[in-house]
Amino acid sequence: MNEQLFPCGQTRRQALWQMGGGFAGLALASLLDQDGFFAKQAAGSDSTNPLSPKPAHFPCKAKSCIFLMMNGGPSHVDTWDYKPELQKHAGKAMPTDKKFINSGGRAVGMLSPAVRPFRPGGESGTMVSDFFPRIREHVDKLAVIRSCFTDTHAHGSASVQMNTGKPIIGRPSLGSWVTYGLGSENQNLPGYVVMLDKRGGPIGGQPNWSSGFAPASFQGTLFRPQGNPILDLTSPGSISRTQQREQLDLLAKFNQEHLEMRPGGTELASRAASYELAFRMQAETPDAVDVSGETASTLAAYGLDAPQTSEFGRNCLIARRLVERGVRFIQLYSGGGHLEETWDAHESVEKNHGRHAGETDQPIAALLADLQQRGLLDSTLIVWGGEFGRMPFTEGVDKPGRNHNPYGFSMWLAGGGVKGGITYGETDELGFAAETNKVHVHDLHATILHLMGMDHTRLTYFHQGRDERLTDVYGHVIKDILT
Amino acid sequence: MIPPQRQIKLQIERLLCCSIFALAQTILASASDFEREVAPLLVLRCLECHNPVDPSGGLDLSNHTSMVRGGESGSPIAVEFESSLLLQRVMHAEMPPEKNGKSQALSDEEQSILREWIKAGASWPNGRELDPYERTTVKRGGRDWWAWQPIAPPVAKAATTSDAIDSIIRDSLKAQNLSPAPPADRRTLLRRLSFDLIGLPPTPEDIAAFEQDAAPNAYERIVDQLLASKHFGERWARHWLDLARFAETNGYERDEVKPYAWRYRDWVIEAMNADMPYDQFVTEQLAGDEIPNRSQSSVIATGFLRLGTWDDEPNDPREYQYDRLEDMVHTTTTAFLAMTVKCARCHDHKFDAIPQTDYYRIASSFWGGPVAQRNREWNGGPSKEELGFDVLGWTDLTNNPPELRLLAKGDVHRPLQVVAPGSLTGSREIACTFESPLPDSKTSTRRLQLARWIVDKRNPLTARVVANRLWQHHFGEGLVRTPDNFGFLGSPPTHPELLDLLASELMAGEWRLKRIHKMIVMSKTYCQSSIHPSAKSYSDLDAANRYWWRAERRRLDAEQLRDSLLTCSGRLDRSMGGPSFKAPISDEALEGLSRKGDAYKASPADESRRRGVYMFSKRSLAVPMMAVFDSCDTTAPTGRRDVSTVAPQALTLLNNEWVHGESQAMAARVLASCLDREQRISAAWRIVLSREPTDRERLASMDFITRLQTSGIAGDNADLLAFAALCHTIVNTNEFIYLD
Repeated sequence: MNEQLFPCGQTRRQALWQMGGGFAGLALASLLDQDGFFAKQAAGSDSTNPLSPKPAHFPCKAKSCIFLMMNGGPSHVDTWDYKPELQKHAGKAMPTDKKFINSGGRAVGMLSPAVRPFRPGGESGTMVSDFFPRIREHVDKLAVIRSCFTDTHAHGSASVQMNTGKPIIGRPSLGSWVTYGLGSENQNLPGYVVMLDKRGGPIGGQPNWSSGFAPASFQGTLFRPQGNPILDLTSPGSISRTQQREQLDLLAKFNQEHLEMRPGGTELASRAASYELAFRMQAETPDAVDVSGETASTLAAYGLDAPQTSEFGRNCLIARRLVERGVRFIQLYSGGGHLEETWDAHESVEKNHGRHAGETDQPIAALLADLQQRGLLDSTLIVWGGEFGRMPFTEGVDKPGRNHNPYGFSMWLAGGGVKGGITYGETDELGFAAETNKVHVHDLHATILHLMGMDHTRLTYFHQGRDERLTDVYGHVIKDILT
Repeated sequence: MIPPQRQIKLQIERLLCCSIFALAQTILASASDFEREVAPLLVLRCLECHNPVDPSGGLDLSNHTSMVRGGESGSPIAVEFESSLLLQRVMHAEMPPEKNGKSQALSDEEQSILREWIKAGASWPNGRELDPYERTTVKRGGRDWWAWQPIAPPVAKAATTSDAIDSIIRDSLKAQNLSPAPPADRRTLLRRLSFDLIGLPPTPEDIAAFEQDAAPNAYERIVDQLLASKHFGERWARHWLDLARFAETNGYERDEVKPYAWRYRDWVIEAMNADMPYDQFVTEQLAGDEIPNRSQSSVIATGFLRLGTWDDEPNDPREYQYDRLEDMVHTTTTAFLAMTVKCARCHDHKFDAIPQTDYYRIASSFWGGPVAQRNREWNGGPSKEELGFDVLGWTDLTNNPPELRLLAKGDVHRPLQVVAPGSLTGSREIACTFESPLPDSKTSTRRLQLARWIVDKRNPLTARVVANRLWQHHFGEGLVRTPDNFGFLGSPPTHPELLDLLASELMAGEWRLKRIHKMIVMSKTYCQSSIHPSAKSYSDLDAANRYWWRAERRRLDAEQLRDSLLTCSGRLDRSMGGPSFKAPISDEALEGLSRKGDAYKASPADESRRRGVYMFSKRSLAVPMMAVFDSCDTTAPTGRRDVSTVAPQALTLLNNEWVHGESQAMAARVLASCLDREQRISAAWRIVLSREPTDRERLASMDFITRLQTSGIAGDNADLLAFAALCHTIVNTNEFIYLD
């Protein structure tokens, strides 16, 4: 939260504590805000709602973010990090001066080039692997970062780090920070939506979209792609909406009488109002995932007509619908469960990535095209990547898979405020470790927050004696990829 | 560099120019100026970096000798005072250096203090050592911070401690021109008391009996009854489990079960019920393996140190040992001392008198235990052979742990000096260094010494911290409203005298907590209404109710809410202890698990009707119904849960299948109690809210039932469904979830 003016010349912190803690303080911040956003709020939302929209620290383009989480760790040398040198070293052993932790104690095979050819795409000519022929058509929209690195080689902790900044569980996730800082534009839908792969959640589970030490209102809401997207959205059994309306009217009467005897009970009024909000959510949430009104060509573009692409395609389409409805942060998982069910290509990169890229290439390309066509790409930030990369060597002669690599990997950003058609940073000649313009997860987070109008050093949450930040005491915005 | 003798000579030469009268005045003035102006300035603006432990640029400004000696750039004080480096650096705003892009330059006034001081010869009282923590400044707390001061013995002369509580509260209200609210009616009072002490609502019969009991000690009898109830321990254990970051799995990749974590939970419940003295409660949790009368039960208590998250596959196992130390240091110092010691892992605490060495002094208590990576089967703890019992506990692996070095910026690759094990040093009077164990000791006994330091009656924190927690859970807010932070960034006590009264009484009563509970709930302050006739004008003066002019209205927490639903439905299973039950979780909510199916199997329905404190807590899967009502994070200690009001809570209470099931069970009780429809409506209100409906409520309820039955609900169980809908509506009211 930014330093704002508080009455009586108090600092924000004093005001927060006198209000009795972080949560009430948020409500206060909303109340005090003079930016006129109340007018912009969806009808019926009230000032005690922690998800009420809040002004950014500075003007920016991106209003929403879609984080495409490639769960399991895609191989960068097989996708976005073109390494012709690797071809020359094929079959040789990894140079001994390159030190690494061999995750899981797996077999260390020989250096091995990309399993599919790379080709230049767009006017920029950025090299993209044949795993992503469709996204390649949009490569001029992307800023490909080829020099990412992270701190840990295990899925559980690396995934938590990509989502929360640190490899230890218990901290708020990126989406929580974003909704904490900006609120959400639509109060009838959750502000931070997470859609998992049908095969399962990421290793580590809920801490990946948890709000950690921040209030639960900022945690990610799991969204299912069909029917009732969120838990407890509709009554069990035969209770009709009319009956429920009658019940809510009766409830309102009871609450009103209770409130009359307790003048000034703002928390009571606010809770009574939350039932009306819930009632509207019941109507609006299923509509957000109901794609029956989309044209046949849109459905086909996203791949809903083909078994391989239909699941992720539907999620991408829903992500667009959520962006249209003002949802602030959306995270889609590709890959769920363990090993080959995710991008965790230990057995064979060709087989594994063939499957997962095959499921996602067309939907992601469609999402980029659709957002642009609707004029939403400028106000939507797209992030693509996994929790780490993979090694330039295989796991053995008969095992053309690759082990985990936290030392170097690729991610890309596109949309609101991102300079398209560029690459940033480099790994070494083998694609083993980030070398030039290295980008740590903290830097990536700082950049994402910046693109959403927030200074990562000012977005703080006071917890147990400390102004906590997503980026802790680290992080630099990658200025070179900004428009 | 100017030798001290020359300095004195210069000073004398200068002074000789003045008259004798002026001379005397100057000497007096310079000593007092130093204490009044110069010392605070040096402490506030210079000593953070120019300290004796790790002097920046080699310059240590904490004492005269080292100041005169100077640092890498030479002596800061020159013969010609204008060319003194100290003055130069400060005037050019090079010092203090800018921070986060913001200038830290001294103000004109500050500069002139230094200028005048140096001009007058930079005199320094003989032998005076500046201590960075010696006093509280506008930026940080020092050793004089309230929480480090000895607990003041009670001065109030009152018949009982409850009266003393009231007299302190009354005086502070008077000073603000406020008066307390009238006493709460008996039903409200009993509901409040019952939820506070045992976490469950009273039955309608309990309320009726209490309302009719004219005996002068009617209330006290009920207080005693509830304090003696076995449910008391279940309720108050839950508060402690939040602080102990209790969960039953490790988190991370495999999120494996911590075997027998539930025994620790049962130990806490039993300790609360038996009114175990708090000093023993602390000691067993930190050092139950080291105490002379060690038993299986006291070793189970050390599970406290085992409950943190544990990564069986950390990226850097050496570094991870330090993360584990932080978990133990943080949990221990937060739960027992409300000091944010973890902030000093990488540097001296920015806001409190906790030097970085203090962090390592405490951390060394845990250094002798199995913090390193070992056999995965032992879940990050000792083996059962090492522990002596097959429980979840902690012990040292040696009586002579390797030395622990302070890490520069917390970086494992930059070890500095060895730190001797010891206590915190914020209060010098009680600070101590831990002694080596006897040669035949199995453990280092450091944890035992730490525990003894914590429960030393001279320790100013321990009794205050726990007394504040009790107050907080009875009143909704503590006397210190930041119960886990008594430091500079916390909020100071609203009623310091009252906090010390409770703390003193606790220690005087051999650390028995139930006695303090009773004092608190017997006070008039506790028994007042939450509704005040002057609420409107009072709210303008004291919106946060810091003076306690009324009782604070509170929302039930996740466990209270769930347990009271089960109580109203008559299906609460009151059996105590043993392994946890796994709450039913819908398939949709299980989708977040990476291993579907085998990772979580709900317990049979009849086992799931036990109290919330017995619910299995899996770190990779928050139980949605509990999480939505702000059950706390299990990775770090929590002394105060958030209270949020969001639409998903309404959705849960409106639509959750389990809530519907309990509502139907309530309706079944209603139908079984009488036949007449009007009587049944009364019964519904009695069963859910333990009161008769008002006329308006009765009419509205009647109307609702009639319309449901004419507009669709029909058939054999039409009555049941209609009354279930009514009960369900009452369950959703503010009155059900807010305690007056």
